[in-house]
Amino acid sequence: MRKLLKTNFIIEKSSKKNVLTFLFVALFVFGLAIFMENKDVGNLVIQKTSEYQNLTSALSRFQEMDASQDGDSSDIYQNLNQQQRLVTLQRAAANLDRPEMFVNSAIELSNLRKVAFDLEGYEDVAVYLPTYTENQLESIFYENLRTLGIPIFKDNLTFYQFLIFLFGILGSIWFIFLAFYSCGLMIDDFRHTSIIKGYPIPFEQYVAAKGISTLSIILLVIVELVICSLPLIYFRGLGDSSYPVAVFDGDFEIYTITQYIGVCLLYMVCIAIFVILLSIILNMLLKNMYLTLFVQLFLFTLPMLLPKLISLFPFNPYNYMNFTSLLNGESLDLSNPVVLNSTHGLISILLSIVILVVVIRLFLSTGRLRRV
Amino acid sequence: MWAYFKFELSQFITNKKNIAIYAILLFLACFYAMKIAPSYEPIEKVDAKEIEARYLSREAFLSTFYNDPNRFVGMAGFGLAIYPEWNNLDKARLDALKDHDFVKYSEATSEWYVYANNITYGNERFFYSPGYYSHGNLYASEDGYYGYLYTASRYKGYAEGDYKLSLNVFEERTALQTLQRLLHSDLPMILMICCIFLTVDVVLKDRLNPTILRGFPISDWKKLIIKGIVSLIGSIGVILPLSVGLIIIGIRYGFGDFQLPVPIYTTLSKPSYFNKGEFVNTAMGNYLVDNVIFIVFCFMYLILLVLLVSMIIKNEFANLLAGAIFIFNESFFFQRGIGFFYEVENYPTNYVQVGQIVSGYRNYIYNSNALNFNHGLMIVGMSTSVLLVFIFIISKYKRYKLI
Amino acid sequence: MIELKNINVQFSGRDILKDVSETFQPGEIIGLVAPNGTGKSTLMNVIMNYVKPNSGKVVVQEKYQYTSKKNEVKIHQLVSMMPEQSDLYNHLSGKEHLRIYCSMWNSNPKLIDQTIKDLGMDSYVKKRTGTYSLGMRQRLCFAMQIVSDTPIMLMDEVMNGLDPNNVELISSILLKKKEEGKIIIVASHLLENLEKISDRVFLFKDAQLINANEITSGYGKREITTVRVKDLTDAIKEMFYQEFPNTEIRSLSSGISLVDVSNYDLEQLARIVIFFKEHHITDFSYGNVTLNDLYSMYYLENVKR
Repeated sequence: MRKLLKTNFIIEKSSKKNVLTFLFVALFVFGLAIFMENKDVGNLVIQKTSEYQNLTSALSRFQEMDASQDGDSSDIYQNLNQQQRLVTLQRAAANLDRPEMFVNSAIELSNLRKVAFDLEGYEDVAVYLPTYTENQLESIFYENLRTLGIPIFKDNLTFYQFLIFLFGILGSIWFIFLAFYSCGLMIDDFRHTSIIKGYPIPFEQYVAAKGISTLSIILLVIVELVICSLPLIYFRGLGDSSYPVAVFDGDFEIYTITQYIGVCLLYMVCIAIFVILLSIILNMLLKNMYLTLFVQLFLFTLPMLLPKLISLFPFNPYNYMNFTSLLNGESLDLSNPVVLNSTHGLISILLSIVILVVVIRLFLSTGRLRRV
Repeated sequence: MWAYFKFELSQFITNKKNIAIYAILLFLACFYAMKIAPSYEPIEKVDAKEIEARYLSREAFLSTFYNDPNRFVGMAGFGLAIYPEWNNLDKARLDALKDHDFVKYSEATSEWYVYANNITYGNERFFYSPGYYSHGNLYASEDGYYGYLYTASRYKGYAEGDYKLSLNVFEERTALQTLQRLLHSDLPMILMICCIFLTVDVVLKDRLNPTILRGFPISDWKKLIIKGIVSLIGSIGVILPLSVGLIIIGIRYGFGDFQLPVPIYTTLSKPSYFNKGEFVNTAMGNYLVDNVIFIVFCFMYLILLVLLVSMIIKNEFANLLAGAIFIFNESFFFQRGIGFFYEVENYPTNYVQVGQIVSGYRNYIYNSNALNFNHGLMIVGMSTSVLLVFIFIISKYKRYKLI
Repeated sequence: MIELKNINVQFSGRDILKDVSETFQPGEIIGLVAPNGTGKSTLMNVIMNYVKPNSGKVVVQEKYQYTSKKNEVKIHQLVSMMPEQSDLYNHLSGKEHLRIYCSMWNSNPKLIDQTIKDLGMDSYVKKRTGTYSLGMRQRLCFAMQIVSDTPIMLMDEVMNGLDPNNVELISSILLKKKEEGKIIIVASHLLENLEKISDRVFLFKDAQLINANEITSGYGKREITTVRVKDLTDAIKEMFYQEFPNTEIRSLSSGISLVDVSNYDLEQLARIVIFFKEHHITDFSYGNVTLNDLYSMYYLENVKR
């Protein structure tokens, strides 16, 4: 095994593909930082202004009526009115830098919204409001901030805050990135069959070594992601690693940034193994790098194209490949809502990995390495 | 030359990857036509009920306050001033719908949107259609402004034109209008991604059979040009699978008409009421031709880019990366309104949203007036020529041999 | 030691190898000669188990057969096949290729530098193989196999694209490796060279391996067995038969006639010279049947017919 890894190291270290990959990842991280700076992501005043406008628009759908508690207006109208008042309060708090007031009104707001979901006429104004899941996540997030007494962060470009955002984006593109990176894994070898075929090494070991060396490059990529974010410490400060992140992992819960990143990393590694193994199999079957890529991407997008499939086969590993939307509980807001649990996701991916390994062991052998 | 062209073309057509791309596009086109297009919910619907509800409540307001001595207290006076005219328009729309008089409906609707926009924009008490105010949209009223005047211009066109009108036309569901909407959103990007994938290996595949191909009695420069032409033909060929989707939509919702109006946002004439541009209709046919020309220019740029990278770096991932940078560059740097401060019109990467360039929407959100079809063609065309010159020079260098 | 036992290979109903049985001993260089597409490569592929024979088996060192994946690995530790030029990694240097082979077979790293020196590859071995010429690539492929240092080596078309100097160089290394007790199986079209270095040469005929020694008595002996004559007309041939009855003449399609003189004494040999001189034949020589002769005897006549 060691000798194979050594061989792979010799081959990979001067491969253009890897150089390009590392270049791409660096560009991506820097581009993302610029993007966040440009978009002013996390500017609470702007957010609250837009929310205010939306609520006003929602209210305008009702005829103006007495909105006091004992007035004759409908419950949802009163509710929206109070929401608007709280949003105004939040905007003021953000402007005046009063984090405590901001958090308190945020909690009140989310409670109001919780009530609103059951009120008559909610459907008509649903588009103006956050979804149930979004509201739940916000609710526990602010509750937690209040309990811990941490002020709300306004700079999303501090190191740790940026990492959440970075890993959040990665969640949706990690699979795609891996599919691109690994789609030619064995195809490269098809061009060197007469060198490889005779190695005094069992094929499983060869595949394992291939997988391990690819995985280690991907781990390096993850390290690079962090390294490229390091300059932010200098420009914007470190941030707080114990800052809460609200997630859905079967229940609505609070993770610290460290925990959140930990879960993301776990997912990233598992998905990487999955994609690598599948690429190996598809390479052997299809003998074409692009076909492999297309099949991978097709499988990835299928649950998005046909969301019914998610509730039909909740254990399909592809439901979990976008771990950001998984941790945001997005499956709860589908027209056929499903509870996708992040632990189940890991189990599902790991099981699939086992199946793929068995398939490789049973059906593939060196003899399949033919010239293409 | 001709023989080499035929050789390259046959290689291109029999390439498994290319066949797969066409197959995927065919699938997506059908999927779109069967699943996504039917569930399209336009923001500006033809909804008699909605018009009626608004009309009745305002009528009620007017009749209550008309003789009220307090009518000049608070905002009531404002209401009394603006609602009669507005309601007249609503009434005209309702009546036209009831009579199925689509021309009348178009006239009234066009006026209605202009009127509604004049009152709504910048007003804290009036709002555009709810679709613009989705949760998280920071620019709802700007979108509303564009949407209203766009719709007004569109209906004006319907009223003036002589083609068959229908509810599907009004809600932009016909095949050509769907195409127009797609060109305005993701279709140009999808086409360009396809173009990159079709071109990505056109040079590098030769490295698998170097001895056969190196000897062909054609210079590298000519080979490259022929390869480029083949890729261009192939990239334009993606229209074929996509048109299947359009035909399906056409059968279900009608094909539309090449004379249908497409509002173009323009700032060339005198500034309008709100110191913004205004909409001028062009025919659907013109709009589509402009788009096709522009997309072909973008194709040429991308193909030459990929050819150049193929020669210098000789790696297919580098090709993909270079193409991806061209396509996605804008989304990293885009900010609403920066066209006022920077010369956004001089970067070829700002023209990838072809449909939005042709319709002027990019100008609107960049707050610029220079991102138009002609300037875009010039910029992309010039960049293409620069690439061509580079390729020519490099192809004369021994160091960068093709195979 | 490597044993082939009743190997049969058929491709789409056609026999490629039919009941092939042979044993190769350590310290032997085996030459394989045949026109293209007659089964040389198939035989090597069978030995490597890249092609599964329809029946029969390969036994390596009296104990290993391709019965399990584990055994395949063990056999591959002992048997190697020369890589093809087109399979080299263009972005790696020659030395890196050698390092890969050295580590894969756990051979002595000193072999790398030794082989580079032996093959005179110093000047370019650190450059990327993408820049190599045909001959350089061929030498690298050969060097890789030498570095793998397996007891049994299979080489298909080993002398491809090499100039005479390099052919000599590689031949001498092959002979050295033979001295070390390796079994080397070489397929080549450089017949003269093959004849020189091989201990045994096999030709392929009707999907079978035929030892060249058994084809004609005149091959492979260290005495004068044959007179080779160019442009022997039928008339002169007739006269020759009259003068030397019981002598066999074989006319090859290459225009050369072989006169079998294996039992002749010195005086008789001299008489043949006189005969030719009298009939104004000047282009003749004494010696053995060469592999070239055997080749044309075997294959070219078939083509002609």
